[in-house]
Amino acid sequence: MQSNNIDNQNTYDAIVIGSGISGGWAAMELCKKGLKTLLLERGRDVEHIKDYPTANLNPWDFKNGYYNTNIDVERDPIQSGAYSPATKHFFVSDKDQPYIQEKPFNWFRGYQVGGRSLLWGRQCYRFSDLDFEANKKDGNGIDWPIRYKDLESWYDYVETFIGVSGQIEGLTQLPDGKFLPPMELNCIEQYLRKSINENDKRTLTIARVANLTRGWDNRGPCQNRNLCSRGCPFGGYFSSNSSTIPAAKKTGNLTLRPFSIVSEIIYDEQTQKGKGVKVIDANTNENIEFYSKIIFINASTIATSLLLLNSKSKRFPNGFGNDSGQVGHNLMDHHSSAGAYGVYDGLKDQYYKGRRPCGFLIPRYRNLDKDEGLSFTRGYHINGHGERKEWMDRMGEPGFGKNFKNALTTPGPWTIWMAGWGECLPYYENKISLDETQKDKWGMPLVKIDFSFKENEKKMMDDIKETCEKMLLDSGFSYVHAFNYSTPGGTTVHEMGTARMGLDPKTSVLNGFNQMHAVKNVFITDGSCMTSSACQNPSLTYMALTARACDYAYSQLMAGNL
Amino acid sequence: MNRRTTLKSILALSAAGISSFSAYKWISLNKEVNVNELLSYQSLIAELAETIIPATDTPGAKEAGVSGYMINVLTNCTGKREQNKFVSGLHDLEAYTIDSFDKSFMKCNAVERNIVLKHFEEKGIYSLQILNKINNKFLGQTFFSKLKSLTVEGYCLSELGATKGLVYDYIPQTFEACIPLKNNQKSWATK
Repeated sequence: MQSNNIDNQNTYDAIVIGSGISGGWAAMELCKKGLKTLLLERGRDVEHIKDYPTANLNPWDFKNGYYNTNIDVERDPIQSGAYSPATKHFFVSDKDQPYIQEKPFNWFRGYQVGGRSLLWGRQCYRFSDLDFEANKKDGNGIDWPIRYKDLESWYDYVETFIGVSGQIEGLTQLPDGKFLPPMELNCIEQYLRKSINENDKRTLTIARVANLTRGWDNRGPCQNRNLCSRGCPFGGYFSSNSSTIPAAKKTGNLTLRPFSIVSEIIYDEQTQKGKGVKVIDANTNENIEFYSKIIFINASTIATSLLLLNSKSKRFPNGFGNDSGQVGHNLMDHHSSAGAYGVYDGLKDQYYKGRRPCGFLIPRYRNLDKDEGLSFTRGYHINGHGERKEWMDRMGEPGFGKNFKNALTTPGPWTIWMAGWGECLPYYENKISLDETQKDKWGMPLVKIDFSFKENEKKMMDDIKETCEKMLLDSGFSYVHAFNYSTPGGTTVHEMGTARMGLDPKTSVLNGFNQMHAVKNVFITDGSCMTSSACQNPSLTYMALTARACDYAYSQLMAGNL
Repeated sequence: MNRRTTLKSILALSAAGISSFSAYKWISLNKEVNVNELLSYQSLIAELAETIIPATDTPGAKEAGVSGYMINVLTNCTGKREQNKFVSGLHDLEAYTIDSFDKSFMKCNAVERNIVLKHFEEKGIYSLQILNKINNKFLGQTFFSKLKSLTVEGYCLSELGATKGLVYDYIPQTFEACIPLKNNQKSWATK
């Protein structure tokens, strides 16, 4: 370090901001390379197994069932839409951590060690060149600085480490990965797989999930309880808590500091580098500075942009590394509100045992080889699941008494529910910004979110309804009902963009290695780096980008370039 | 007339209905509910729940302790309007029972209880499905439908309901994707 007046106690080789799915990966990779790493987390610590208080509870252990109390709903109008008494402790309180919705936007947050990696849907899908080339081909947004070949070996690396179960299908739009044995489709799903393959030449495959079908890395296997979001006492699914953070600790190079809200990145005018970070201790409100050679920002898309915009200096009057003016812009979230539901009158002598923690996937089937002349560009994939109607689905049936009880407690007909997860284009006007006057209780400016889905997404939702309805009708389903829940942005919890990667520093914030164009020792590998959203669930891509960026950062550091 | 047009014209009708809704009704639905009053009805609620899910070869709602769950949810997790509707539903039900049988619901036999509940089930139901949906949207669940859904949840989430009325698989370990349905197969208590 060049500066002599820096307190050695507060100096590390690397600082990672945020301990969620990408921050956990950054911390582990940097620690494994031998760098003394400080992992800063704004929330409390959550230790694997020990801090999963609801993981082993039965339904009758919850006094109010799965209803949130009136008090919870009033205090957390947004978060309570996502949590239940079984998971509430992994969400922030809206009252304590408010934000401003310029248009309706659900910002679901889990501020704790592990972040939302405790709560994620565990779906792991690779992007393909159909996705990486899309912006360049149709002119929306800017070109990705990377292609599939740049990320392929990193996808291999991440999947092999976290454990992903899945079925090889040989599709170009959804590359196969390094899979553990797949989970199994149930009877109705097998039937639908066969039927839509015959009718439409489309593939239905079991979801590819970070749930372990056999023991892996001293975790699992998955016990098919389907209670993942409470935290898994068996380590049956991947989270920072169960995997990357313990691995980072094992190196002896990790310092984990919870309750540490990073308020600013400090810019050093002389070296033109990020010198370190300013931290507010969430409990004591004490201001502390930490310093390092490299900085990884993994605070999650919106919080990362907030941090950049709040880090102003003479060199960066509009926010850290924001020469392009793109920081905060191009916010994306997948839409997942349109789909169809149907009932199948058959296979009545078949059932299942166990609660598989995932459904099925119908990989993208629109605009694959060429623009098909549809009313929208890009595409969507279908997530769904088949099951027999059980009590939750049968309570609306008429009557009461003995016959009603009998129906209620026996399996009803098979049903399929499925919906499209659709790509959202990067629109400059979908953005986050900072409120100039309102601050939170730590003095940080409140985030304003201004986001809406536009024509392309709405046309796509209509197409999802039509194709889902048709697939079910063509497969002999009855009571087929196409729906669009019309949920606001944020609901899919795939927010991304706002500090995008690109080739040109004039139009992007990060280069092809997630390195800031303007500040070479600062890297951003959470969802904010995304140049387009594709339609795949994005966490696997964040992890692969993170591992790749860490490797690059380390080699640059060793070469004396940082 | 296509479905959308039907929906529109029904919505227009409902809007007219709502504007003529009296202020008195609004106030009566938004006043504070006395929790003790709800508690005083616990044994009535337990009997109503038992009429919906009676004991058979498996336990009924009463044995499963469903009324406790129902009162918890009504007290802690239900908006004032819905609470008031539920309490006035209980009043209406008692009034109707006394009119019909000259005694309270608690004193009625099984046949009489069924007649009373049948009346309240039919009262809240339109033959046209879409009207039910609209009614639910603007006025919330009817008393009977709230009573029934709380009973079902309370029963199926209770220890006796889940383990005896249904089958509860605490730690399944494996997932068996396609297995033959057994004779008298109960459905799974959890998804």
